[in-house]
Amino acid sequence: MFNYNFRWNQALNSLPRMLEGALVTMEIALLSMAIGVSVAILLTLCRLSGNRILSAIATTWVEIARNTPALFQIYMAHFGLGGFGIHLSPYVSLLIGIAFNNAGYLAENFRGALKAIPETQTRAGRSLGLSQLQAFRHIILPQMLRIAFLPMTNQMVWAILMTSLGAVVAMNTDLYGVTSDLNARTFRTFELFAIAAVIFYVITKAITLSARLIAARLFRY
Amino acid sequence: MKTPLFAFGLAVGVAFAGAAQADKLDDVISSGTLRCAVVLDFPPMGSRDADNKPIGFDVDYCEDLAKALGVKAEVVETTFPERIPALMSGRVDVAVASTSDTLERAKTVGFSIPYYAFENAVVAGSRAEGVASFEDLKGKTVGATAGTYEAIWLEERVKEWGSGTFRPYQNQADVFLALSQGQLDATVSTVEVAEANVKSGKFAGIRIVDKAPMVPDYVALITLREEYGMINYLNLFVNQQVRTGRYVELYKKWVSETGEPANLTINGVYR
Amino acid sequence: MFDTALTMNDLIFLAKGAGITLIVTAIAVFFGTILGVIFGVFRFQVGPIWAAPLTFVLDVFRSIPLLIQLVLANAFVTTVLGWRVTGFSWNVTGFVVACGVLSLYTAAYCSEIVRGGVEAVPPNLRRAARSLGLSWGQEMTSVTAPMAVRVALPSWIGLSLGVMKDSSLVFIIGVVELLRSTQVLITRLQEPLFLLMVCGAFYFLISFPIARFGGYLERRWTYD
Repeated sequence: MFNYNFRWNQALNSLPRMLEGALVTMEIALLSMAIGVSVAILLTLCRLSGNRILSAIATTWVEIARNTPALFQIYMAHFGLGGFGIHLSPYVSLLIGIAFNNAGYLAENFRGALKAIPETQTRAGRSLGLSQLQAFRHIILPQMLRIAFLPMTNQMVWAILMTSLGAVVAMNTDLYGVTSDLNARTFRTFELFAIAAVIFYVITKAITLSARLIAARLFRY
Repeated sequence: MKTPLFAFGLAVGVAFAGAAQADKLDDVISSGTLRCAVVLDFPPMGSRDADNKPIGFDVDYCEDLAKALGVKAEVVETTFPERIPALMSGRVDVAVASTSDTLERAKTVGFSIPYYAFENAVVAGSRAEGVASFEDLKGKTVGATAGTYEAIWLEERVKEWGSGTFRPYQNQADVFLALSQGQLDATVSTVEVAEANVKSGKFAGIRIVDKAPMVPDYVALITLREEYGMINYLNLFVNQQVRTGRYVELYKKWVSETGEPANLTINGVYR
Repeated sequence: MFDTALTMNDLIFLAKGAGITLIVTAIAVFFGTILGVIFGVFRFQVGPIWAAPLTFVLDVFRSIPLLIQLVLANAFVTTVLGWRVTGFSWNVTGFVVACGVLSLYTAAYCSEIVRGGVEAVPPNLRRAARSLGLSWGQEMTSVTAPMAVRVALPSWIGLSLGVMKDSSLVFIIGVVELLRSTQVLITRLQEPLFLLMVCGAFYFLISFPIARFGGYLERRWTYD
């Protein structure tokens, strides 16, 4: 049944290049999370602000991010913005696309987390002389991030997985890009992608584990 | 429970393995259909008409081949990067997809004799005002379709220069889109594709500036490496296409009414 | 911008792509849910230690990019096993591999949701049901299932919509779904922005109302 000759050597020779790609993948995922969390907080503030226009912008962002494929969002970040004369390099297009997606999902997670925080806390803060923004910053935000920590970890894993979509915007330095570039030259599809799969698995496991360790340290009451 | 399931699995496996053992040429004739991989974003070799039906030089070439075999032609669209995987995975029987006959690829697939030859041109986009020759590309942002002959060649040049960037897009359309949007300074593509795209007027601001200083890109039909019967047939078929004047006819129909198709023989060596 | 060369034929072409997207999604969600329920209940029933191998395998599907799962599965079936399905006019292998991979992918997430749902049912309630003389199966179907479904349904809807969006990746193994057919039209018509908007709008129009409905259920059932 197996009349296929596995040639792992050839694929394993490319391991150093693939590991370099893995670093780029992690870098993009981390940056996109940093941007995503910041924007998601802004979006949450917009929704809380009571201003109709701000709230509508935030809702539109969240709904588009959550209801269209990530592949579509990344493609639009490159060619869609390109149509308006905004030229982003493949790296930045991929980063922006993933960050857009992250922000949308995280904002929704934050909204869920906010429900668990009694509104009386804001009022208590206000009556202690804090401004609305100060109350959010010092009372609500820390609790919100704590409650949403698990969904944030999941989103981080998603961000890692989403970097594989960069090929549609000519990204060729991340793990998936390097792998498909090697595949175009050698056609050892199965071997190359099996190695890439293992690397992706290790990265995502490392992230989930370290998130657990961080959570254990940060959230001791 | 376990045994019947296993037996069933084995039976299926054997059935499929059995099918894989038969000679490709026999398979095609007995199945009555020839499935060709054709790249359809590569005018004039392959594109789609207003009804989204495949048309072009490669499409006609596939139909001629099917007619010679006495079977029905079926065009399976693939992109450049997925054309060899499609062959390997048995989705298609042959690829009539302007595949350059590189030695690296010959380790994986079997090539016929060349059925066409391309010259490559340097195409500059709306952003690259100053680009007048290939040498001007040094340090610029250039791109091509991932996995193609010209992409691999261009990437090597960028590495040699040590400056500038190379971007591999997934298909020819994305390359020209990026070029007309100004995301790329220039690309290297076949003269045929470049002229067709400039003429179509769909990509604003692109222009052909120079011939790319590379060996003519001989392209061949491909099938699985071990299918000698099929490769043999393909060789004779390509020879007959030239001999009967069909090669010139297709060239005039799709590429240029006034030009001359490239000579497919090389002086001083066999094959 | 709305001055387009898009014809009726092209719309039908797009609709066919959309049909493939929906069919692949339906098959994946159907089989994925059945498998997910079986795996989820099994994992809950035998405890984390005995379920570890299954948990590990399912976890793999959630830790590797779907794109790579598809490429690997396709390469494995076609080049390693050498299965060649001939005689069909469409990409049977690609379609079957796509449905298979997406089903397992769905099952991996679904088992997690099912386990969460079953765990949310108070153990004392289940013990009470068993002590009234209900068998394990009776208790599972008439006590645990109705309660677990309430907890799990909103997440399950979210999962189904996720699978629909992720099904856009099956283009990599040659299945022409909505996003791929859009690309084909872009190649010919060269109206990328307009066509992509149409494609995005389609996903949005299907996904948004269902997502809203899920949100509604979640809100309604929280106060029960």
